[in-house]
Amino acid sequence: MAASLSVIPEIIRITVRQLLGRRRTLLLLLLAALPVLLAFIFQLAVPANADKYANVVFDTVSLSVILPLAAVLFGTGAFGAENDEGTILYLLAKPIPRWVIVAGKTFAAVGMTVAMTVGAVLLAGLVDLFPSGPDGIAATEAQVAAMVVGSVCYVALFIPMSLLTRRALVIGIGYALVWEVTLSSLLPGIANLSIRQYALGVADWFFQIHKEPARLSSTTAVILAGVLVAVALVLANWRLSRFELPGGSD
Amino acid sequence: MSDVDRPIAGSPAGNIYDLGYRHYEGKRHGRWYSAWALYVDSLRGIWGFGRPMSAKAAPFILAGLYAFAALIQLAFSSAFSQAVRTEGTTAGLFTYGNYFNRLWIFVLLFCVAQAPEVVCRDQRYRVLTLYFTRALGRVDYALVRLASLASALLIVLLVPMIVLFIGDVLMGADMFVAAADELPKALPAIPADLLVASGMAAISLGLSAYSPRRAYAAIGLLAYFLLMEAVPSIIYSVGAEAGWTWSDKLALTTPITGLDAATNWFFGVPLNPSYPVTLGSDAYVVASVLGVLVFATVLVSRYRRISA
Amino acid sequence: MTVQTLPAPNDSPLDAPAIELINAARWYGNVVAVNDVSFSLGAGVTGLLGPNGAGKTTLLHMLAGFLAPSAGIVRVLGRSPHGDPSVYRQIGLVPERESVYSFLSGYEYVRFNARLQGMKNADSAVRAAIARVGLEDAADRALGTYSKGMRQRAKVAGALVHDPQVLLLDEPFNGMDPRQRMAMMDLLGEMANAGRTILFSSHILEEVERVATEILVLVAGRLAASGDFRAIRALMTDRPHTITIRSSDDRKLATTLISDPAVFAVELRQNALSVQTSHLSAFRRIIATASKSAGVRLKEVEPADESLESVFDYLVRR
Repeated sequence: MAASLSVIPEIIRITVRQLLGRRRTLLLLLLAALPVLLAFIFQLAVPANADKYANVVFDTVSLSVILPLAAVLFGTGAFGAENDEGTILYLLAKPIPRWVIVAGKTFAAVGMTVAMTVGAVLLAGLVDLFPSGPDGIAATEAQVAAMVVGSVCYVALFIPMSLLTRRALVIGIGYALVWEVTLSSLLPGIANLSIRQYALGVADWFFQIHKEPARLSSTTAVILAGVLVAVALVLANWRLSRFELPGGSD
Repeated sequence: MSDVDRPIAGSPAGNIYDLGYRHYEGKRHGRWYSAWALYVDSLRGIWGFGRPMSAKAAPFILAGLYAFAALIQLAFSSAFSQAVRTEGTTAGLFTYGNYFNRLWIFVLLFCVAQAPEVVCRDQRYRVLTLYFTRALGRVDYALVRLASLASALLIVLLVPMIVLFIGDVLMGADMFVAAADELPKALPAIPADLLVASGMAAISLGLSAYSPRRAYAAIGLLAYFLLMEAVPSIIYSVGAEAGWTWSDKLALTTPITGLDAATNWFFGVPLNPSYPVTLGSDAYVVASVLGVLVFATVLVSRYRRISA
Repeated sequence: MTVQTLPAPNDSPLDAPAIELINAARWYGNVVAVNDVSFSLGAGVTGLLGPNGAGKTTLLHMLAGFLAPSAGIVRVLGRSPHGDPSVYRQIGLVPERESVYSFLSGYEYVRFNARLQGMKNADSAVRAAIARVGLEDAADRALGTYSKGMRQRAKVAGALVHDPQVLLLDEPFNGMDPRQRMAMMDLLGEMANAGRTILFSSHILEEVERVATEILVLVAGRLAASGDFRAIRALMTDRPHTITIRSSDDRKLATTLISDPAVFAVELRQNALSVQTSHLSAFRRIIATASKSAGVRLKEVEPADESLESVFDYLVRR
């Protein structure tokens, strides 16, 4: 067991290197810089209301666009690159329990998503929210918490998806967009199945960002998020254990 | 019939034999035919014809979802017309003017799903040379692809319009009178949807053409559309508050809201007050047309410079 | 078809062959990729041959534990490799797919493999593996800068860094120049002599001839032949052997030979005599006496189709 655990950092390292240093990561970085850039604009142009604008940016940009995009790219990329190119054989042909591979990949993808999203939100918060007092600090904490919960949940969801289907990227984005943004505002019951709501629910515990309280209480949100992550990882583990290569030309 | 014994060119040292290949010396179709052939093939490909069943799922489902509301409204038109007569209000109903405004998400998803299919496959599998060395050149290729996606979107947009038209006609007492009444109301939908289709197609293809991988193109498209909806309007509000006079021009850069506002001009409907008051819907029309031209140029220049 | 004797499934592990297939089959829907194949392998180098689509890669993947057999038994070192990651301590796999982590240097790549194998102080083993494949000079460069042959060698280094008992290679000589191929063959031979079991698939018959002590021929999913290829050739009695002879008087020798029942065809060529016989051993006995009685001096007697290629050709077309 101990031997298996010591392998995890190795897997994390290699996954991070796989995910970094590609054009898409650079573009994502630019994307993540957007809320920070806007934060500066707000502070310079309308310092009195900078915090309100920052909250709007959080809602419409960071939470709705940057978080799902980063999670989809890193979450499906963790296994995706290897699945595509067949290099997954090199990982599977090792005396490592499958859950270790899943764990390592997940940590790497979550880590990178969190780094990007929390970085964006934290920097923007430092610029816009902190100056407005303790409320601002609490609001930043709330946003950071939301990003962390959201990253963990989205990545946990996309990792088994990338093992189950080849169209994981598009389906992932379809989920984030249609399900989260559109349907969940139309049909209240769906809040229980919406990662966005988990994120907002946890954020609420720190600070109420919106005028109305989040639809899920913080405890419910955490529990549901935990269930999602557990189910997703079990699914990924199961799928990887039964991994069979598609019939080759030979 | 091959005539192996008789060389067609030769010297004592080596010979080339006539194996019976025949040259084609007849009439050849020209550029327009090539363009038309590519257009038809492209349009069919967008709808998944000539591909396995799974390729038809996304376009048809999304187009169906977009038209769904109109179909529901048609199915229940008698009940609706009842409600209209008793309560005297048509606010909830879908009309030609507000349809895109409410259901744009499905059109967006259609673009995100299908635009990459149109331009990414040829790049990924490196077959562009096959196109560029024929009568069809680089520019033609790009424009034909654009036309095909715009046409597909036009179909998506017009189907509910037609359904609404049928519904309205059926709701009236006398069909022919109702048709004559409805037609002027419905006709502006055609140029309006043409503009919307061209705009969405130009943006979608202009951006997708930069990535040979479909999934990344799709994600890039989504990022562009969603961010360009949110950010300019935020900056506009900031500008309004900070007293910047030019900030209302920024609102013109939002793709989907801008196209929607432009359709108002065709229907002769004033803009919703949430839009900047300094701009009329005609400004949005100009901006949309400019947008089509700009993105079409981006698309063409991408194909001009791509190495194939 | 020769089938080697199979040990009973309940053998003690010490006697168990390293690789064992018993009536193994694998199908995908209606397509049968591997059809009722049985063989067992011990120490030594075995070549797996077959035309494209014969099922070689499927077979290797079954041995590597990536595919469960649809029927039959697959055992590596006494255990079923499917669903049992611990078996990989003793298996080294060199898959066909070329791409590896191109951003890693050769050294880092082999070390990554070593670490995943659970080797603690892997540095010396890594250096040794790299030296064995001859990549010391390039070990610090990124894999992406390697030529195809170098990448192959890097993969092999990664597969043997943990000194596995069994080595499975799918088309390992792809992309290697002749010198690298010979070095690789020497390496495989060395490992086999040290008691390792090596199975590799290939299209390149000359290499297989040179390095494999045994061959397995797979045609359309079925095992068409197994064993030493010369022995297989001798078994192909329904196909006449062709022998090329150069002598001082070919025509005279021809008339003498044709009268012997062991010979059924003789062809006079420009500089040689081509003899076809269905009984190779009988022919070997009579050629000396025939030439003596004809008063003809033999300059060269050479079997014309003893190569693996002709064996393979025959088996594939059967």
